[in-house]
Amino acid sequence: MQEETRDSMMIGNEPAAVEEVREELLARASVPPRLTKEETDRRRAENELVLQATPHSLWYYSWRRLKRNRLAMAGLVITLILIIVAVFASELAPFDPDMQVLEYSTEPIGFHGNVLLTKSQVDLSQTIPIPIGEYRIQNNRVIYTTDDGRDKSIALSLLAGNRESDWHKTPIYYFGTDRYGRDVLSRLMYGARVSLTVAFFAELCSLVIGVLLGSIAGFYRGWVDDGIMWFTNVVWSIPSLLLIIAFSIALGLGMWQTIVAIGITEWVDMARIVRGQFFALRETEYVEATKALGLKNMRTIFRHILPNSLGPIIVIATAGFANAIIYEASLSFLGLGVQPPTSTWGQMIHDGYGFIAAGSNWGLTLFPALAIMLAVFAFNLFGDGLRDAFDPKLKR
Amino acid sequence: MLAFSIRRLIYSVLVIFGVVTVVFFIMNLLPDPARMMQGQRADLATQQAIRHELGLDLPAWQRYVRFLGDVAHGDLGRSFTSNRPVLESIWERFGATATLAISSMIIASIVGVGIGVLSAIRSYSLFDNASMLVALVGISVPAFVMGLLAMLVFGSWLDWLPVSGYMWEGGELHLEYLVLPMLVLAFRPVSIIARVTRSSMLEVMSSDYVRTAKAKGAPWKSIVYKHALRNALNPVVTTVSAWLAGLLVGTYFIEYIFDWPGIGLQAVDAISRSDFPLIQGTVIFSALIFVVVNFIVDLIYARLDPRVKLG
Repeated sequence: MQEETRDSMMIGNEPAAVEEVREELLARASVPPRLTKEETDRRRAENELVLQATPHSLWYYSWRRLKRNRLAMAGLVITLILIIVAVFASELAPFDPDMQVLEYSTEPIGFHGNVLLTKSQVDLSQTIPIPIGEYRIQNNRVIYTTDDGRDKSIALSLLAGNRESDWHKTPIYYFGTDRYGRDVLSRLMYGARVSLTVAFFAELCSLVIGVLLGSIAGFYRGWVDDGIMWFTNVVWSIPSLLLIIAFSIALGLGMWQTIVAIGITEWVDMARIVRGQFFALRETEYVEATKALGLKNMRTIFRHILPNSLGPIIVIATAGFANAIIYEASLSFLGLGVQPPTSTWGQMIHDGYGFIAAGSNWGLTLFPALAIMLAVFAFNLFGDGLRDAFDPKLKR
Repeated sequence: MLAFSIRRLIYSVLVIFGVVTVVFFIMNLLPDPARMMQGQRADLATQQAIRHELGLDLPAWQRYVRFLGDVAHGDLGRSFTSNRPVLESIWERFGATATLAISSMIIASIVGVGIGVLSAIRSYSLFDNASMLVALVGISVPAFVMGLLAMLVFGSWLDWLPVSGYMWEGGELHLEYLVLPMLVLAFRPVSIIARVTRSSMLEVMSSDYVRTAKAKGAPWKSIVYKHALRNALNPVVTTVSAWLAGLLVGTYFIEYIFDWPGIGLQAVDAISRSDFPLIQGTVIFSALIFVVVNFIVDLIYARLDPRVKLG
């Protein structure tokens, strides 16, 4: 009202300015200059794209963050290579890991062997290597010099295969040989198999125990929680390694015993994290909604709360996997893990480390040690990257 | 404070009770000790006599009650091999382990916190990236691998330090024997403490009160050391205490490799000789130390940070 009066007064008082003011007002009120048709179309198409694009999940953004983390990707690649080596060990290994050539005991790195392959009299599909110096063929027999310089001969029919290239081999031991003349590289490859298998199943075992106990404690709280947390603290108070050793002695030594021993000891961290997640998530609206809908507790736990705690669970599980590799190696170093003749990294170190004091054959200790370090380091790199990728505090 | 202490004490006793029960359960799964003591050739009568003497012919619950009573009186049984009381053997060796563990933890705390703080105030710098990568190596290398590599490099190749033996040799102190095992033992805790300190510092440095301190123009040093570090130390103290407790009882491999006569070396020997009472005693003793250290740390913690008492 007042505005209007003032305006009309103004117009009344200064008639000459009326036209000017009106033009000014019109200019202000007018829409911005019309867009060209192309521009309108372009903007419409752009908006349509935005509208059509579905919002991405947490997984999508986590994976995108992870992909940008070069160290984590390096860890992932090394881990994948190790898995491939473990799975295809029998195809990739240059030698049978258990094949002993006693004459080639503790040979250095890059040693060239020189052997004749003979058919085994016991099992025709097997071949037995005989280390030689020189050889020549004479009247269906091969005359060769043995390691200690004596001349011996063997009938051609006893040799494996028909052509000379079948029965005469000069294999290269890239990482040298151990005390029994077994190829270190092949044993390392088979060792990866044991290490990763034990770590995987042990972690799976502790994942199941930890998630189960953690979610029950976190969901029901009260005395159930008190009881479970008491038990968790009891297990936590006993030094892990001693507990694992005690379990594996009690169960007997071997592959599955090692898996169970590590698995039933290493669930403590997982139980604690899952419990903490449940404490936090129980207060959220969507969990309240499941109550309002009258869903069963089990359904709420497994379909609604657990999937939303997957990030921290995966992070703890990767760390647990890396630790399981360490525990497996430690156990077999003490001779309490998977038993010989199966080759394991820890046991290889144990067999080799006696040479350190003598200052010779350091490869026997160094290579398996590097294998363990590489495996655990790669997995930890990946795990660290995962933790950063799942961390909601970091920006997209 | 008193009520809190009593509550924690009762809880600690309950945990120890749980440990003893778990140990009893596991020991029940082990092979028959009467046979282990006498070997394969023992005749049945001798075995029966030993079983009776050890009370193994009693039903499980009676043995359990008896076991609880013995442990409560500090009787952990006698070693199969030396026939000495287990507690005595462990106590005698504990000094060597404690020396190693405590000296390691002192070094690890100082170096770890130092690296963590430097990394945090220069985050994503070359120093930060390099030290965090080394720290990741530190947590990736098993203790025995680290020990062997150190022996190989510093003992065999460079020949700087002795590779095995105890520092008390014929009544004289040879500190050079302590250096290698101590440093090797410290490597993993240094890595973990550095990582914890760094992430805790980063969190605190982005908090409101540090921003306020910056805004009011407080000198940089005082912001870092007075405002940030003091508040960032909480998780670090937890880590240090957990590791001290862990090291006091878990230096098996380092002691084994460096021939250091502590409870770890004794335990490894006991394992190789199937000396079950000694293993069992070491487990219970270790858990006891662990719980006691944690109890003390809890009390100190509650004193320093009143929020703990409420939780």
